[in-house]
Amino acid sequence: MAKLIGGLGTSHVPSIAAALDKGLRHSDEWKPFFDGYVPAQEWVAAQKPDIAVVIFNDHGNAFFLDRVPTLALGVADSYAPIDEGWGPRAVPDFVGAADFAWHLADQMVERHFDPLICRELDVDHGLQVPMELVFGRPEVWPVKVVPILVNTIQYPIPTPQRMWDLGRTLRHAIESWPGDERVLVMGTGGLSHQLQGARAGYINPDEDRRWIADIGPAPQRYRDMSREDYVEVFGSEGAELIMWLVMRGCMDEKVNTLHRHYFAPASMTGAGMVLLENA
Amino acid sequence: MTTVVLIPGLVSDGFVWTAAAAALAPLPVVIADVTTQNSIEDMARSLLAQHGGRLLLAGHSMGGRVAMEMARQAPGRIAGMALLNTGMHPRRDGEEAKRQAMIDLAHGQGMAALASAWLPGMMNAARPPEPGLMADLAAMVCRMTPEIHERQLRALLARPDAAATLAFAGPMLLITGAQDVWSPVAQHRDIARLCPQARLEVIPDAGHFAPVEQPSVVSRLLADWAKPVVAADSGLDRIPDTPLFDRPRSNAGYALNKMAMGLATPEGRAAFLVDEGAYLDRFRLTQEQRAAVMARNWEEMVRLGGNLFYILKISAVDPTPIRAIGAAQAGMSLDAFLETRLGKVTNG
Repeated sequence: MAKLIGGLGTSHVPSIAAALDKGLRHSDEWKPFFDGYVPAQEWVAAQKPDIAVVIFNDHGNAFFLDRVPTLALGVADSYAPIDEGWGPRAVPDFVGAADFAWHLADQMVERHFDPLICRELDVDHGLQVPMELVFGRPEVWPVKVVPILVNTIQYPIPTPQRMWDLGRTLRHAIESWPGDERVLVMGTGGLSHQLQGARAGYINPDEDRRWIADIGPAPQRYRDMSREDYVEVFGSEGAELIMWLVMRGCMDEKVNTLHRHYFAPASMTGAGMVLLENA
Repeated sequence: MTTVVLIPGLVSDGFVWTAAAAALAPLPVVIADVTTQNSIEDMARSLLAQHGGRLLLAGHSMGGRVAMEMARQAPGRIAGMALLNTGMHPRRDGEEAKRQAMIDLAHGQGMAALASAWLPGMMNAARPPEPGLMADLAAMVCRMTPEIHERQLRALLARPDAAATLAFAGPMLLITGAQDVWSPVAQHRDIARLCPQARLEVIPDAGHFAPVEQPSVVSRLLADWAKPVVAADSGLDRIPDTPLFDRPRSNAGYALNKMAMGLATPEGRAAFLVDEGAYLDRFRLTQEQRAAVMARNWEEMVRLGGNLFYILKISAVDPTPIRAIGAAQAGMSLDAFLETRLGKVTNG
């Protein structure tokens, strides 16, 4: 059976990718942000995962509004980084874990989660940035990926509780896979930010810090919050944080928070991460 | 979803609400049927049973009394209430004899005779109504029957004392005609005193049938009042200055966002740069949307249904920092925006 080695929550702000592309990793503005990820990078490298299941949202790149899957699952052999309008980035293609992903599809549908199954899929910064934050900029990615995409743009978006339940289902699916792969689950997005409307630029560092501190030991509050509560507390795009609940739902009730980091603002966003292992 | 329920008064129907229903049309609008029930309480009960979910009520005359009763029975379901040419007082001395005379008239001489006897006193006495309007109102009365008329009058005679129970805390709009002698302004002031959010509008040159005597004034008041009430009630726009990308916005902005999505390809970007107008012409933008794009007016693009994740691609072709787009929407200079919203660096 495959082994869930840990759960990692992280922002996927596109400015992080832009900073890396511009060589600003060690600049005064960005160094404190990137340095905060180093302990998690070291832990993950030592754990040698084989597969990363990455939960993220597409940002109007792979999907347009003509068809909006609430939930989508990649089962491809590889995923190319997508051109978001600024031209292609020099990021290697991501290698898919196709057989494992098909197993997830089987198990999800068996348990009444019905994703759009994607045989060809390009991936935007929602997947690229977390991979770069955890694995750096290698010539070849050290893990295979399974992209799971959640609609967080077109209302109605799914509920926080539904995201938690998806996590429970993924846990079962991962552990029912007959191989012995080591799996890291990454919930991405957030933290507080708002891009639209007169409240643009809203961030909430106090609630972000509370989220990072509590998502491991005390996630119940975040399951109970409504989608509107997320928008109110974390901003209209901060509601992406519901995708961390998929990761948290994958984990045991009792977890150890191995590492956490928070930085604000990264561009217009509260940014950070948390690394959890089952206690 | 909130439904607007328009409740007619005595021997009235949807004719009274013609202009109002059109002005409120972006919302689901229904005309209530209050011709079959024997009491104000039953009218309220059956309307609450027929129309599910959150309700925005507008009641004219007797319909206003029904609306107040609905709010008494199910306060949690009423998103807001507009009361027109109405009152909350119980039966008055001598009222029964006058009502009985009208009941007898309708049964004895028919609905046309009732219309001739009853309608003129309802209108603005200072200026005779247009003959066409009187004919339409008489036709409406004739669509009813003496039995409906009697049932509604007996319901009115047995009406509850709304003053004893009225305490509606939600948004309330009170409308009456300056020349309404049947339900004078003072009755509406009495209602306003009991309801903290009440707003009173007195319409000049209107009597007891203000919705048809001054249809454009009344319907505009109702539409302006209903919009924020429904938006606030729908949950999505409950958070100030935060336009969530819901169905109305997605529909309104579809062409605009599709145009922007086209900039994800090198071909689209090249076409935009060579001849922006010609590129925009490929998509069926509204004139407003087209002007907003040409002016790089981000606030306006969002107002017209643009979603940042799509229209951001314009800023890739015509380089604009995301923080400048944020500042423009916030209505601030970039420096003020960075200082007040993103100024505090926090780390660790």
